[in-house]
Amino acid sequence: MKKKIIRLLLALLTFGILGYNSLYIKKLDEVQTASKGFDASGFARTFWQHKLTPALAKATNTEQLLTHLQQQKEKTFQEYGHSLGLGNIKYFLSKGKGVVREVNETSVAIQVGSDTVRIATEYVFGNAVRDASGQINLSEFSNTMDLNNVSAELNKIIRTEVVPAFRKAVKKGDTVEFAGAIELNQKFPDLHSVEVMPIALRVLK
Amino acid sequence: MYRKKLKSFLFLSVFLIALFGCKTRQKTDEGRKIAIVVSTLNNPWFVFLADRAAARAKELGYESKIFDSQNNTALETDHFENAIASGFDAILFNPTDADGSVVNVNKAKAAEVPVFCMDREVNTTDGATSQILSDSYSGCVSIARYFVDILHKKGKYVEILGLVGDNNTWMRSKGFHSVVDYYPNLKMVAQQSADFDRNKAMEVLESMLQAHPDIDAVFCGNDAMAMGAYQALVASGKADQIKVFGFDGAQDVVESIQHQKILATGMQYPEVMAYTAAQFADEYFKGRREFPRKMPVAVELVNQKNVSHYGAYGKQD
Repeated sequence: MKKKIIRLLLALLTFGILGYNSLYIKKLDEVQTASKGFDASGFARTFWQHKLTPALAKATNTEQLLTHLQQQKEKTFQEYGHSLGLGNIKYFLSKGKGVVREVNETSVAIQVGSDTVRIATEYVFGNAVRDASGQINLSEFSNTMDLNNVSAELNKIIRTEVVPAFRKAVKKGDTVEFAGAIELNQKFPDLHSVEVMPIALRVLK
Repeated sequence: MYRKKLKSFLFLSVFLIALFGCKTRQKTDEGRKIAIVVSTLNNPWFVFLADRAAARAKELGYESKIFDSQNNTALETDHFENAIASGFDAILFNPTDADGSVVNVNKAKAAEVPVFCMDREVNTTDGATSQILSDSYSGCVSIARYFVDILHKKGKYVEILGLVGDNNTWMRSKGFHSVVDYYPNLKMVAQQSADFDRNKAMEVLESMLQAHPDIDAVFCGNDAMAMGAYQALVASGKADQIKVFGFDGAQDVVESIQHQKILATGMQYPEVMAYTAAQFADEYFKGRREFPRKMPVAVELVNQKNVSHYGAYGKQD
């Protein structure tokens, strides 16, 4: 009788171990979006340090860019705009200096020449920062999701390392220096609400 | 005498073979055929994509045939086998499943038939000659930002996903959540697939509303599902309270945005994708072999503020 119970317990234990190890439950979106072997965070950090930051030296002056866009839209898009593919959305790498006109919950409005641009401090999302320098090589990525994850990681750097100190220091009337990415629709460019995804920000006072 | 005859015979044979070869080649060049294999023709957006691809192929002087995979990879395999056996020279392809369709693409590649993907991706780097794809992630980032603004950063919402095997489903969902998840007061109370299908979306939202009658918004992975969701809301008398967001730029949704029934969509450009795919096939026939592996096509946010600029399927004023 004792032997029978031990045998039954052993059988149950074996069955339990086999069952436990053969069944995995994962959230579906975790499985589908998992990108094996690609370190988006590492790629973004290297891109930020070795490509994006050096590229800021050649960024177009914001005041000039806005003037060019008003005067020669097509030519300016062609000359300074970047994108990885087809379509109306283009990105510009731009830098400038101006006086803070307003600080609100999501952005900081800066007077640049006769125009006003908004530095995004909350809505730091999308591919503008990744694509504006024109230095991302699409063929380096076998998986489109990897490419999107690079954007998410770059935006994370901005949210954690660029924006907080600026938000803390900036106030109306300050003079600030900025560099960042601007997204515009080639067909319907809205030059009255230009938004800059910041890459570098400095309050000069 | 015998040797002379043999020489003449050999000379004649070589001449005839060369002549026949040239004639055959010339005939092939003139009579190229393009197969257009589309995931489903049960959705007007894909009908438009297939029609535009066929129209561009015709403009370029090629015969084409449209195959409907009915969202079934087995049927898609049959279409590929038929297309290869029937001597189609290129395939303009809208895959059913990012992983499940790889085998078909590889089969065509083995038969030296180039494949140009339109709108949907296959998870292979070298199977397809080129993949022309909507930038779904960025499009949904724009939609999500608008979503956050409209809901004032708080509320309950549900998400209706497309086909779980399609990369676009997850690109859209991930693009959307890359924004919305930063707002802890925006709570997703349910997420379910409706396979990009209008009727299924209606059923899915009906059952979601039973469990969560107090939601503020619905984000749908395509416009067909957005229309299905809207129908469910009309039936439950909640169409004025719950906000619907779609993705595609389909005719009925653009009209619904104009009539303030649906809040926003992501405008894709099927004509650009179809045109580029057919163009690439033409260039392939003419000898080009280097193509971008992936070619993203920008997606634009269409909402009640800017809808006057847009028509269905990417037509602009």
